[in-house]
Amino acid sequence: MRIPILKLQDYLLVSVQIELDDQTAMQFQEDLLNKIHESGATGVVVDLTSVEIIDSFIAKVLGDVVSMAELMGAKVVFTGIQPAVSMTLIDLGIHLKNVQTALDLEQGLVKLKQELEEK
Amino acid sequence: MNPEYQDILLAHSNDIIHRWMNELEDSKLKEYKSTISDEMIEQVNREFVNMIFDKLKNDSSRESIEQFSERIVNLGWPLGYLTGGMQSFRSICIRTLIEKIDRHDPETFLQVMDDVNQWVDPIKNELIDAYSSNWSNIISLQKVALQELSAPLIPVMDGVTIMPLVGTIDTDRAKLIMENLLDGVIKNRADVVLIDITGVPVVDTMVAHHIIQAAEAVRLIGATCILVGIRPEIAQTIVNLGIDLDKFPTKSTLKRGFEKALEMTDRQVIKTNDHDDKVVDDIIQSIDKE
Repeated sequence: MRIPILKLQDYLLVSVQIELDDQTAMQFQEDLLNKIHESGATGVVVDLTSVEIIDSFIAKVLGDVVSMAELMGAKVVFTGIQPAVSMTLIDLGIHLKNVQTALDLEQGLVKLKQELEEK
Repeated sequence: MNPEYQDILLAHSNDIIHRWMNELEDSKLKEYKSTISDEMIEQVNREFVNMIFDKLKNDSSRESIEQFSERIVNLGWPLGYLTGGMQSFRSICIRTLIEKIDRHDPETFLQVMDDVNQWVDPIKNELIDAYSSNWSNIISLQKVALQELSAPLIPVMDGVTIMPLVGTIDTDRAKLIMENLLDGVIKNRADVVLIDITGVPVVDTMVAHHIIQAAEAVRLIGATCILVGIRPEIAQTIVNLGIDLDKFPTKSTLKRGFEKALEMTDRQVIKTNDHDDKVVDDIIQSIDKE
C-alpha cells in the first residue's frame, strides 16, 4: 500500500488515510524523498487526521523524514495529530522536537508559508 | 411462616408496635435525637413498622423498602437506626409470640425463632442493600461533579482558550487535564492555550512533569501552550528543583499571558473610545495657551 503524494505549486501534500505499518512507513519515507527530489518542493504538509495509532517505530520514521527532508531543503509540517495519538507519543517519551505541527491542513500551509518567508 | 403465628402477630400488632416504639425511644437514635423533632421520629418509626407488617401480609414490594431507605439516607440517619430497629423488632416479636403461645417446649421456641427470623432477616438485608446502594449512588454522583469541576476549558476568543486549574494535581487528574486540554484544542480550533496555575497550591516535580507533558502534547497537535499564574514561591520551587520550563513561554499573570497570546495570534487590544484622554489633552492645551 502506497501513500499518495500530491504536488501543489511549491508544496507537497500528503494525506495519510490508512493505518501506518512499518513497511508502509518506510515506503512512504522513500517515496517522499524521491518526490521532493523530483519536484524540487520547498515545503511538505503531512496530514495525520485519520491516523489513530503511531507507535515508537513509526514516530521515529516520521521524525527521520523531517530531518531528511530538511537536508534536501524542504520544510515539513505535521497536521491534525489526534489527541489520543499525541498523548501516547508523550507517554512513550517521544517528543518529536524537530517537528513543526499545526491544527489542520489549512493552518499547516499558513505555517509553512511563514517559515519559508522567514528564511 | 406458620399461619398460627402470623395471626397472633397481626392480632397483637398494635401491642408490638407500642412496645417497639418504647424500646426505640431508649435506643441509639437518642444521640442524633437532639436535631430531630419528636414528630418526625414518630412518623418515620410508624412508616418503618408499617413496612415490616406489610411484608408479613405479603403485599410489600422491594420498591417500598428502597423508598424507605432512600428516605433514611436523605434524612441523614445512621444505618444503625435501621439495624437496631430491626433487631429490637425481632426480639419483641419473639417475646410476644412465646407469651401468647401456650406450649413451652424447646421445639416450639426454636420454630418461633426460625419463623420470625425468616420474616425479619430478608427485610433487614434488603434495607441494608438499598441503604448502601443509595450511598454509593450519592458518591458516584459527587465523583462526576468533581470531575466536571476538575479541568474546565474556556474559549475566550477565536483561537485562544484558557484552562484555569484549581487545587492539587495528582496523576489521575493530570490525565484528565491532558485529555480535556487536547480535545478542547481540537474542538475550539485553538492556536494558543493558557494554562492558569494560580490556584495550584504546590508545584513539585511531579506536577511540573505533568504540565510539561500536557504542553508537549498540545504542541504535537499543532497549538501552543502558555503557562500563566506563576507565583513567586512557585518560581522559586521550580528553579530550586531544576525543572526546565524553557520549552514554552511562561508568564506571571493571566493578564500578561493573554497579551502574549494576542501577540502570537497577531492581534492587539485597541481602545475604541479615548474620550477621557481628549479631555485631559484639551485642559493641558488650554493651560498652555494661557
